Amino acid sequence: MTIRIGLPRGLLYYQYGSIWEKFLQELGAEVVVTGDTSKATLNCGSGLDEVCLPAKVYFGHINDLYKQVDYLFTPRIISVAAGQYTCPKIIGMPDMLRSNIDNLPPLIDVNLNLRQNSRSLYQAIITVGHMLGKNAISSLYAWYHAWQYRRMDQAIRYSKPNGQRIGLIGHPYIIYDRQISMNIIDKLNHFGIDVITPEMISNRQAAIAAKTLGKKIFWSNGDHMAGAALALIQSGQPVDGLIFITSFTCGPDALIGELVSQRAQALNIPCMLLTVDEHTAEAGFVTRLEAFTDMLIRRKQS
Amino acid sequence: MIVTFPHMGDMSIALKELFTGLGRQVVLPPPISKRTLELGIKYSPETACLPFKINLGNFIEALEQGANTIVTCGGVGPCRLGYYAEIQQGILKNLGFNFDMIVVEPDIVDIIKQLHRVAFKRNFWEVYLAFRLALAKIHAMDSIQRKVNMIRPREVSVGESDFIWRQTVDVIDAAENLSTLRTAWHKGESELDEVKLKSGTRPLRIGVVGEIYVMLESSINQNLDWRLGNMGVEVYKTMYLSDYINGHLFRKREYLKKFKYLADLAQPYLGHYVGGHGIKSIAHTVNMGQEKYDGIIHVFPFTCMPEIVAKNILPKVSNDVDIPVLSLAFDEQSGEAGIVTRLEAFIDLLRYRRVKHHLA
Repeated sequence: MTIRIGLPRGLLYYQYGSIWEKFLQELGAEVVVTGDTSKATLNCGSGLDEVCLPAKVYFGHINDLYKQVDYLFTPRIISVAAGQYTCPKIIGMPDMLRSNIDNLPPLIDVNLNLRQNSRSLYQAIITVGHMLGKNAISSLYAWYHAWQYRRMDQAIRYSKPNGQRIGLIGHPYIIYDRQISMNIIDKLNHFGIDVITPEMISNRQAAIAAKTLGKKIFWSNGDHMAGAALALIQSGQPVDGLIFITSFTCGPDALIGELVSQRAQALNIPCMLLTVDEHTAEAGFVTRLEAFTDMLIRRKQS
Repeated sequence: MIVTFPHMGDMSIALKELFTGLGRQVVLPPPISKRTLELGIKYSPETACLPFKINLGNFIEALEQGANTIVTCGGVGPCRLGYYAEIQQGILKNLGFNFDMIVVEPDIVDIIKQLHRVAFKRNFWEVYLAFRLALAKIHAMDSIQRKVNMIRPREVSVGESDFIWRQTVDVIDAAENLSTLRTAWHKGESELDEVKLKSGTRPLRIGVVGEIYVMLESSINQNLDWRLGNMGVEVYKTMYLSDYINGHLFRKREYLKKFKYLADLAQPYLGHYVGGHGIKSIAHTVNMGQEKYDGIIHVFPFTCMPEIVAKNILPKVSNDVDIPVLSLAFDEQSGEAGIVTRLEAFIDLLRYRRVKHHLA
C-alpha cells in the first residue's frame, strides 16, 4: 500500500510546492494536495490566535487534510539562504500545529536551515527519504528528478510595456492565493493594467537592487520583495506605480512596506499599501484599486 | 557629538554612565510620555511593534533637545528588532533631522569597535572603567528590583519598599565610582531588609515571561510588577537587563548552560529558535510549572512575531504542566482598566485554585 502524504496549499507551497510534490511522488508516495483556499478554509484557520492571514489559511488547509492522510508534509523551513531566515511563524508552524490539533498524523517536519550550513538541504532530503523507507542515494536521485522538473516548469511571463504597468509587491502566498488576494491580478488586468510581481524579477536583479539598502534584509522573502520593488522603480523604465499588498500583522512586511514606500516616494512613484485580513470586504478593496489606477492614468495624461 | 539612545526600563542610567565615562555629552530622551507615544505612532508603520514606535518617539524627542548622535542596537533576525534602525533612520531623515546613527550589532567585537567610535580621547583603561561602572550599575539596580518584587506583597506599610527603591536608584544614578556605588547598593539592600513584613502570609507566586522590552518598561506594561505586588503577588520576572547582557553579550558559561537546559525543556513544544524570546517563554513556563508556581503572565507587544508563536503553543504547555497562563499583548491602545480587570480575574482564579488544591 502506498503512503498518503498531505501537502497543504499554503505559505511556502507557492514557492516550492511543485518540487515537493514531485519529490514525494518520486519517493513512491501518494501526494494529496488541498484545493484552493475557500471561505471554509478561513473559518477553520481562525484556530490560531493573532497570526497573519496566510498562517491561518495554512492552518485551515491542514484542518481539511489531516484526517485523510498518513503523514503531513510540513517541513520546518528555517532558512533558504546564507544569513537569512524565513519568518518566525513559518519556523514555528509545525509546533503550532501540534499544539492546536489533537490526533494529528505524524508530521514530516525536517529542519531545513541553510543559514550557516549549506549541506542542510541534503540532510533534509535524506531524512525525508529515510522516513519513507528509501536509502540516501534514491532520495537524492528523487530530489534531482524533482528539481529538473521544476526547471522545466518555470515559465516567465513578461508583459509588454504598452499601457500602465504596476509592480505588485507581496509574498507569493498572498498574491497567488485568490482568496487572500481577492484575485487582485485578474482585477488589475481587467482594468487593462500589466502587473509585474516579484517572481518575474530574477534573483540576481533583485539582489543587485537590494544592495542599495543600508543593511541587508534578513528575511528571505522580504529581501526578494524589497529588491524586486527597488529594481522596478529604479530601472530606466520604471513602473507607473507600486501596490504593496500585505496581510494584517505580517511582521516583516510592516517594516519592508515602509522601506519600499520611502524609496518610491523619493523617486516620485505612487505607492499604495493594501492590507488584507479575513474581514476584508471586496467592495472596499475594488474601490481602492479603482481609485489608484484612475490616479495613475490621470497622472500619465497630464 | 551629543549622544542619545532609546529608553528601556532603567537602562538609561547605565548607558548615561557609559557614554559620559567615554567622554561624551549625553542627552537623555525625556521619560516616555503620552507625547513620546503619539510621535512614535504618528511616524511609524501602523503594524510595527510597540518598541519600534516608542524608540522612534524617544529619538524624535531627544533630537529636538539637541542630540545629534543616536546609539541603538542592531540584530540578525528573524525578530524585527534587527531591522529597526534602518527603517527609523529613513523616517527621521524624512522628518528633516540631521544626525548620525551608530548601530551596535550584537557581538562583542562590533561593540568594542563602535565604542571606539564614541570614545573621546580615552585610553583603553578609561574605557574599561566606564564599561565596568555601567555594568555594575545594571547589576545593582536589577538586584534591588528583584528584592523589591519579593517584599511588596508582604510589607506592612504599603509603598515602603518602593520608596527605598526609588531613593536607591537615584543614589546609584549619581554614583561616580565603584565604591560609592557599592555603598549605595548595600545601603539600599540593608534598608530593604529592615522593612517590616506581615507574618504568616504566603503570597501567590507568579512568573512573568515574554518579551524583554514590555517586561522591563513599566510605562508600557502599566506598572505590572507594582500592580501585581500590591494585589499581593510575588513577581518573578524571568529576564532582567543583566541576564540579557550576561547571556547574549558575554555568553557567560552559566547562562549558556541555563539556556541549554531551558531549550531542552521547550524542545517538545517548540523545536527551534524563533527569534526574540519565544523559546524562553515556553521554557520558563514549563520550568515554573514544575517548580509549582501559581501562575504565569506572558507579556509581549501586539504583533510581536516570536511571542505570537509562543502564545499559540502556551495553552498546550499550560495544560500539560498544569499551570494557568495569562497572555497579555500590549499596544498603544492598552488601557489601564482593561489590564487591571484581567489581572484581577486571573489572580482570583489562582487563589481559587490554591484553595481547591489545599482542600483536595
